Amino acid sequence: MARYIVRRLLGMVLLLILVSAVTFVIFNVFPSTDPAALRAGRQPTPEVIEAIRRDLGLDRPKIVQFGDYIWDVFAHQDFGKSYVANVEVLSQIRENLPATISLTIGGVLVWLTFGLSVGIISAVKHRSILDRATIGLSLIAISAPVYWLGLVALYLFAPDFGVFGLGFLGGQGSYVPFSEDPLKWAQSLILPWCVLATAFAAVYARLLRGSLLDVMGEDYIRTARAKGLAERSVILKHGVRSAITPVVTVLGLDIGILLGGAILTESVFNIPGIGRLAYDAITRGDLPIVQGTVLFGAFFIIIMNLIVDVLYAFLDPRVRY
Amino acid sequence: MSRSLLKTLLALAALVALLGLGACGGDDDEGTDQGGTPAQTEEGGGNVTEQLFAGSAADNRANPAEGGKKGGKLTVLSAGDVDYMDPQKTYYTYAIGVINMIHRGLYAYLPGDTSKAVPDLADGDPDISDDGKTVTVKLKKGVMFSAPVKREVTSKDVKYGVERAFTANVANGYARVYAGDLEGAPKDPGPYKEIPGIQTPDDYTLVFKLTKGTGAALAGMLAMPVSVPVPKEYAQKYDKENPSTYGEGHAVYTGPYMVESDAQGKATGYVPGKRIHIVRNPDYAPVDDFRPAFLDEVDIQAGNEDTAVATRRILSGESLASGEIEPPANQLKRLLQSNKSELSVVPGGGWRMISMDNSRPPFDDINVRKAVLAGFDRVAARQQRGGEALGPIAQHLIPPGMAGFEESNSEKGWVDEMDWLAHPEGDRKLSAEYFKKAGMSSGKYEGSEELLIVGDNAEPDKSISQITEQQLNEMGFKTTLRLVTRDTMFTKFCNVPKSEVNVCPSVGWAQDFADPQTMLDPTFNGENIVETQNSNWPEMDVPEINKEIDDAKLVVDPAERAKAWAKVNHDIMAQAPSIPYMWDYQAVVCSPNVRGVQSGYSTTWDWNFMSLK
Repeated sequence: MARYIVRRLLGMVLLLILVSAVTFVIFNVFPSTDPAALRAGRQPTPEVIEAIRRDLGLDRPKIVQFGDYIWDVFAHQDFGKSYVANVEVLSQIRENLPATISLTIGGVLVWLTFGLSVGIISAVKHRSILDRATIGLSLIAISAPVYWLGLVALYLFAPDFGVFGLGFLGGQGSYVPFSEDPLKWAQSLILPWCVLATAFAAVYARLLRGSLLDVMGEDYIRTARAKGLAERSVILKHGVRSAITPVVTVLGLDIGILLGGAILTESVFNIPGIGRLAYDAITRGDLPIVQGTVLFGAFFIIIMNLIVDVLYAFLDPRVRY
Repeated sequence: MSRSLLKTLLALAALVALLGLGACGGDDDEGTDQGGTPAQTEEGGGNVTEQLFAGSAADNRANPAEGGKKGGKLTVLSAGDVDYMDPQKTYYTYAIGVINMIHRGLYAYLPGDTSKAVPDLADGDPDISDDGKTVTVKLKKGVMFSAPVKREVTSKDVKYGVERAFTANVANGYARVYAGDLEGAPKDPGPYKEIPGIQTPDDYTLVFKLTKGTGAALAGMLAMPVSVPVPKEYAQKYDKENPSTYGEGHAVYTGPYMVESDAQGKATGYVPGKRIHIVRNPDYAPVDDFRPAFLDEVDIQAGNEDTAVATRRILSGESLASGEIEPPANQLKRLLQSNKSELSVVPGGGWRMISMDNSRPPFDDINVRKAVLAGFDRVAARQQRGGEALGPIAQHLIPPGMAGFEESNSEKGWVDEMDWLAHPEGDRKLSAEYFKKAGMSSGKYEGSEELLIVGDNAEPDKSISQITEQQLNEMGFKTTLRLVTRDTMFTKFCNVPKSEVNVCPSVGWAQDFADPQTMLDPTFNGENIVETQNSNWPEMDVPEINKEIDDAKLVVDPAERAKAWAKVNHDIMAQAPSIPYMWDYQAVVCSPNVRGVQSGYSTTWDWNFMSLK
């Protein structure tokens, strides 16, 4: 197992370099904002633009720029400075990461709670009215765009202008860090958690339902029942235990992706997370920030995949590395 | 048919019927609203926009300090951030509105009058010599810097402020344009150098000496933040860093407000991209200051990109106001009925234009340009920006309220003489005549070039770009439309002559200060065509007009100057270089418990005059 983990971590480094290279190429091959021209303002002389280009290191050959960047990242953990705000990329990411982690963890808890419960009930009460209703609702939830859902949620429940204005919720832009005020932190995230979790809960419900339906038809389930085990024990200890494997795979991937930034949810609710940071950087051609957020996103996806693969060994004794 | 399939079909039919009933019963008043309001006559005086907004918070601009109450905190919802908090770096009107709260420059604009700047730090109007080569300004006494500097402002501080604008570490975007003729001014950005052309014979006198008679433009520039005083002995250590960290982290203030700072003077209230927290300046000396500074605190929050949601929050909430966002144009009609006193509007001080590259075929032919202008439906373009509710059709290039506008026949311009401008909704018959004059007997364009159109991919510019493409196709042009982000559009395409873009539908220009030179020189003078960040989008280079512009720059007397620039305006329009379609107005919104006063210069709310009711 240890060798497997080490192998995967080494592979991660190579993958991150590759991801960084692809991002760098995309930014430099496809037309994007010229940061020197942008910083120079409205009527700059060519000399001003060149001076800024030199300061930003953009006058060097592309391969040198990229090489220096990779060296700085891996040897010195220096992700450079934002072209626009002239602040360190790492400090901006560190500042925005807690909001994204808060959003992700809360969302995961909400969607697992609802998604798994609904999936189990749907599978157990297969073909009942409850089962059909949940399938129908889950289709709607999956189809509804997150952005639209967020706006509707604000329109209905926002404390300042919502139709049903729920006072205990936080409105758009109300996010505060947990360290500043845990209660306000939670209030500000209830709506975003629910919005983020809606589509995921529906997906997980359907996934678990399908997987559990397959598993409940297996011989060992019939054997467990025949042995006289309580139905709850048969479903949870034997059925769900086997059926949960694809859910774990997807969960790892989803957490990894969300930690890279839930752009739409963060935008609608004005949560200062990694997603917002990345979106602003892309529209302003701020390559260092884009590189930094992409690397972090890739890092989280790779790490979560590794964790999931390791978890398999505990969930399924047949899996060995 | 199986029972389950039948049930499914019945359920679907019921759903469709339900949706159909909902659609029929809805109020489609908003659905047919294309973003404008019904036309109104101009019997009451003022244009349609001004009539529509009569009775709104725009009326407060006439007496901005009257009725204001001291105290309270205002929360401002903005989409983006300022470009810089450094007064000598910023070149963005939204940021200048914030800077005007915390710093006093030599001159500033009152909310209700943008035709002339008033003295702020200066003790009177600038004295410009007859030959335009000397500008003298006297300073008020007793204006103080905040902690940790805590001393009186002198002329040397203003001198250092202007000098640092020329350095590479600050790299001001307009100092070289308007003050580049100062004796000894550096030609290229580099390390700090004293400029001998800025003289300080005593602590309260500044004398600007120029090599050419461009004193009028330099005097106008002194209403911009470049004239904010900066204490050299304190700021130089921050200015040595590249880029300078003075403005963003360590500024000292002369205005009634300041960015919240710690005991060492470090600005803790500015979080780039997120927040600017403005509080009262305890060291403020209100020496002959027009700012009533009613509010105790202003909290500016970025990230509110959905303007519909932000507008709703502001109108439903308390003590909120819009930053640089505007209420959605397609909701203005309803808002003018339900929330008029929370709205305000001012002329944007500029124009919007669809530019045509005059340097290459097909638009190097004046008759082809006239044909396009004659046949183009400029009303449709303006409709995307809110229609006539938000501004008249631009018939020339000096916007309302600026010197030279009245001399340019006001809103009418020269449509009697320039028939290609006479029909803003487009006159295809007239267009055909001009195509025939260009040698195209069919009355449409007959060339084989494929025109490259590059526009902004965000609304409303996206729609305007699509309208442009459609109309050019109807006139016989073959086109390719590329939609990119705004910054990319400017820095990689429209501002780069080498990119050979034929048409840029998403361009516009606003004043730097109240002088027509700022509208016409950067945008139509052939001498200002540059390789990068070019603002002469038509790439117009007519030697006679270039000379006319250079001569107009040297005129000092205000009345003569207005006439000279009106003549330039006329001669540029006679070339039909591009398609101006709007002098747009900027709308803002505040909560019902806020007394709003909008700035005619920055076009945002004027924070110095805002108060809670």
